[in-house]
Amino acid sequence: MRATSFGPTALLLMACLLWGCSGVSLDLPSSVQPAAQIAAKTGAKAIHASRPISDSEEYYVGRAVGARILAKYPLYQDQEVTRYVNKVGLTVARKSSRPNPYRGYHFAVLDTPEPNAFACPGGTILITRGLLKNCATEDELAAVLAHEVAHIANKDGIKSISQARWTEVATTLGTETAKQYGGSAGQMVTLFEGSIDDVFKTIVVNGYSRSAEESADREAVSILRKAGYNPGALAAVLTKMSGKEGAGGIYRTHPPTSERLAKVQSLAPASSASSEKEAVRTARFQQLKI
Amino acid sequence: MRRFMKLSRKTLGLLIIVMMLLLSGGPGWARTLTVSQPNQQIYQEANFASTPLGAVPQGAKVNLIRQEGEWYKVDYQGTIGWLHRQAVPEAAPAKMDLSKMLFGGPVKETGSDEVALAGKGFTPEVEAGFRQKNPGLAYAQVDKVETFGVDQAQLQKFVSEGGLNP
Ligand SMILES: [Zn+2]
Repeated sequence: MRATSFGPTALLLMACLLWGCSGVSLDLPSSVQPAAQIAAKTGAKAIHASRPISDSEEYYVGRAVGARILAKYPLYQDQEVTRYVNKVGLTVARKSSRPNPYRGYHFAVLDTPEPNAFACPGGTILITRGLLKNCATEDELAAVLAHEVAHIANKDGIKSISQARWTEVATTLGTETAKQYGGSAGQMVTLFEGSIDDVFKTIVVNGYSRSAEESADREAVSILRKAGYNPGALAAVLTKMSGKEGAGGIYRTHPPTSERLAKVQSLAPASSASSEKEAVRTARFQQLKI
Repeated sequence: MRRFMKLSRKTLGLLIIVMMLLLSGGPGWARTLTVSQPNQQIYQEANFASTPLGAVPQGAKVNLIRQEGEWYKVDYQGTIGWLHRQAVPEAAPAKMDLSKMLFGGPVKETGSDEVALAGKGFTPEVEAGFRQKNPGLAYAQVDKVETFGVDQAQLQKFVSEGGLNP
């Protein structure tokens, strides 16, 4: 079964259906019953259809997506660079809206000149050497990683599992319960496989929606501020990236850099080193062998 | 979990009450958790950004005081603080859902389904089936990446040397 492609509105609607928009339920008159009660009356299927993906399920999806990406790109073997990227990544992840996913955040560097970064659902973030080379300072690297952390915090990857598929997962679970988990385990593997395709297609091939990118940029700037990094670093790194659209990779999956840059500039304009400490950070970044 | 399904709803109700008593921990019923993951810390608050109170070695047994979301309040050799469930992943799913059900409000009829479904869906077993069907995937690399991390002390040093916010 293939996933249908959705426009941004359909995606948003789908996200609302799948994940439950608390805003919507708050607006309902008090006579309207909460979803759980309705579900209780209409039978198990309704509950399962609206069953949110759990943190551990998200984690297993993320592992599979990571395993597909890592089959394509080898890991960069430099331990010092890897440890440094983890330090910067964890420094920003702590300040995100989701500081502690199921098994924590992990960062790794892919050995390819293609500029790209992937946020695998659940907390694994892969950044390429090509994109690392685009960063001139630790603060710029922090900006790129904060943007990826925001995708994980906002669950942008996992949200791209098609609604039809997720409903089928729920239905299969219902059947499995009835059969006491007999016989349909293979069906769950097929649905898992399809979900991996959905997520892979979004994060590697087509990219997230424009609004998801915008909010990831916004959250990245806010994370940088909270962490004590120069918030203008996102605008700085985007400036460096603009005009390189022909390079593929992250440019293919993200909205035009100029468009992002204009919005990010208005949140936090690029500025030269804001403090002595920024220079200290830049010095430790420049020591790395990227 | 499978056995639950064979029980009548009434028996299940009784079982839940018994388990509630077990979980609420009367004297002599204190529940212990065994830390199965390396490099785990106890934190002052249920938050990785709070002050770490000390490391808990892999294999250590901690006494469970209570649970809030993904965090366990524990007593480890007199140190009382919060341990994230990542330290005891195998203790997590079923018990988590059960206790949420028990403490999070009255037990509804649908509860028994939720109990049965806890830990189903995309599980390690589904991952195993997927891996068998897709042997070319780089799961070994994923496992390797999941070992990448920085301990709390190193991270604090990095943050303070860089003049960043603690
Ligand atoms: Zn993005």
